[in-house]
Amino acid sequence: MTPILEVDNLVKKYGDFEAVKRVSFSVEEGEIFGLLGPNGAGKTQTISMLTGVIEPTSGTARIGGHNIHDELGEIKQINGLVPQDLALYPTLSARSNLNFFGSIYGLHGKELKERVDDVLHIVAMTERADDVVDKYSGGMKRRVNIAAGLVHQPRLLFLDEPTVGVDPQSRNHIFESVQRLNRERDMSIVYTSHYMEEVELLCSRVAIIDEGKIIAMDTIKNLIATLGGGVIHIGLMEADEELLAQLSSLPAVKEARLTQAPVLPPPAEGEDIEARETEPVTTGVVVELTTENSQQAIVNVIGCLNDQDIHLTSLEILEPNLESVFLHMTGKKLRE
Amino acid sequence: MNALKIASKDLQIFFRDRGAILTLFVLPLVFVAVFSGVLMSIGVDEDEAITLAVVNLDVGETAQILLEGIDNAGGVLVELYTEDEAMSLLDEKEIPRVLVIPDDFTAGMDSHHQVTLQLINHPDADMQQTEAVQLVVDGVAQDMALESQIIASLELMGEMQANAPEEFQVFNTERNISQAQSQFESAQDQSLVSVDQRIPGQTEKRKDDLREHSAVPGIAVLFVFMTAQTAAHMVFDEKKVGVFRRLLAAPISKLDILIGKMIPNMIIGLIQIAVIFAFGVFGMKLLGLTPMSLGNDPLALVLVAILIALCSSCLGVLIAAIARTENQIGGLSTLVLWVLAILGGCIIPLFYLENFLGPIPKLIPHYWANLAFSDITVRGLGIGDIMLEMGALLLFSAIFFAIGLWRFDFD
Repeated sequence: MTPILEVDNLVKKYGDFEAVKRVSFSVEEGEIFGLLGPNGAGKTQTISMLTGVIEPTSGTARIGGHNIHDELGEIKQINGLVPQDLALYPTLSARSNLNFFGSIYGLHGKELKERVDDVLHIVAMTERADDVVDKYSGGMKRRVNIAAGLVHQPRLLFLDEPTVGVDPQSRNHIFESVQRLNRERDMSIVYTSHYMEEVELLCSRVAIIDEGKIIAMDTIKNLIATLGGGVIHIGLMEADEELLAQLSSLPAVKEARLTQAPVLPPPAEGEDIEARETEPVTTGVVVELTTENSQQAIVNVIGCLNDQDIHLTSLEILEPNLESVFLHMTGKKLRE
Repeated sequence: MNALKIASKDLQIFFRDRGAILTLFVLPLVFVAVFSGVLMSIGVDEDEAITLAVVNLDVGETAQILLEGIDNAGGVLVELYTEDEAMSLLDEKEIPRVLVIPDDFTAGMDSHHQVTLQLINHPDADMQQTEAVQLVVDGVAQDMALESQIIASLELMGEMQANAPEEFQVFNTERNISQAQSQFESAQDQSLVSVDQRIPGQTEKRKDDLREHSAVPGIAVLFVFMTAQTAAHMVFDEKKVGVFRRLLAAPISKLDILIGKMIPNMIIGLIQIAVIFAFGVFGMKLLGLTPMSLGNDPLALVLVAILIALCSSCLGVLIAAIARTENQIGGLSTLVLWVLAILGGCIIPLFYLENFLGPIPKLIPHYWANLAFSDITVRGLGIGDIMLEMGALLLFSAIFFAIGLWRFDFD
């Protein structure tokens, strides 16, 4: 397969602030590629540079063989953008919106009408096509928002958080539409989200992005495999190098290391734990244990700590999924 | 081409917004009716004669005939003063205006050379009274000039007839009538007597004194510039909902997007002017108010309307470029536009404003727009006479657009 998108060291700076830091990745023709990261990670900025909305500070990218610096006109015909916001004219109907967005891509007459009818069918909005957008539910607006990015038949579609604020039924409908576009029309898709379930469901490969940097990129299977048999977080009042070495040497434990995550000290007698959780204190440490088998490792770890009369302040077993991968790599949760 | 598609879509959106239509098309008509009514109510009492101080520097008979003519015309009573006396009283605001008959008035009229009467007004003089005086003096002077020119022409024919009796047949009745008509037309076009208005200390001829007879142009200018805010709002709304990002991702240039945003504003501005002026001509008559004149040069009127609409659109781009919040567009820019409108003579006639603001109004586009409209509709001037005003509007448009383009945050 040949890449439809090749990104090479893309940087976006605003003064001293670097929003996107030397991002590089590629997307194969016909692939659904995920950009997973929390809000503010730099996903939208990256997409904005690739779609010509903003200019990169440095670095380059090629889309369909065209360079974003010199051949933006050709690239804009290849790209389709579905912005995170509901980028529609609320006082116009879905059909009027689509007619307008189609017309600025040079479509007109019968061809425009056919394309509009087609995309309305894809997002299942044919029956409500002539209603004013303002009267739609959030999910329906999202579907029309996607249709507006499809009307000129792009080869590469950028979907920027397309399910934010959407009800489960519309969310499923959007997933189906994305999969059909990829399967039946061979459309390449770059899908950004901070919902790991969506990325796991739709994407073959994922780049995990945080604070403007890609921190991991692979197939979902390979990314999850980096967690081995699972990850355990244990909270302790303190932990020295000797203890970490002891824990690392336990059967089924691959590695033990300190993280910076805040923990709660042991509860005092009669203290309301729930109330305390809203104001976590930062005393104590969290030890992250990468395991070969999380169930077996936890038995060994608790036994080891009991032998030394060390009390656990918290215990968390992370499922082997992208959320855990992100937490493992950044020490933060995706939705923090 | 893409700019036209954006413009067409924006117009479609605008005409669905009843609130905006009401504000931009109906509200100005209410303003016009109210302001015109107010202006009429503070006008001259027709039954009361206006006293006109006259300094007669001419000892000839023709100046006396002029003064008798003014007295006999009705509405204006002549009072004679010496020059020093009149100027002193004018300075002290004891008299509102002085008509100065130059010492060469009789000689000029007798030799058929153009002479100029000076009508010197105190800055606080009532403008409607000034206009009434000017009309009376103009009328009497032009009648005298016409009479003088026709007599001169007949004298000329008499001399020619006397010198060439064999050509007697040439001077038949038809030829005499034709000659009289020609002389009449010439007197209309090139009057021997002109009246020059000025205020004390001012050497240049004032052009602004007659403008405030109609509230229509001022209100039209005010509301056309208010559409700048509508244009800025449309841009801001598009940026807020993200449509702007979609447009930027489409194969359409940034310049096309901005021009596409300006065209609807221009069209709305032109429709506003047409509606307000139509009301000024026909609606005012229906309301029993004095209808406005559209002047003598429709092309000049159209050109000025286009330039004002253009200037307002460019101002819209500038507001959209520098405003960072919805409140800055909705609240602050409204305040700024109203202040500019007031300082630019849309509500208070420029004649009054300039007396205490000096040249400040000239820094405001509304001023030049009002001046241009007044020159055309009140003074009956044409394109050739308002090049400065049109140039100023074009310059403001270019400055607004350049700064707007420079400061516009497409990101």
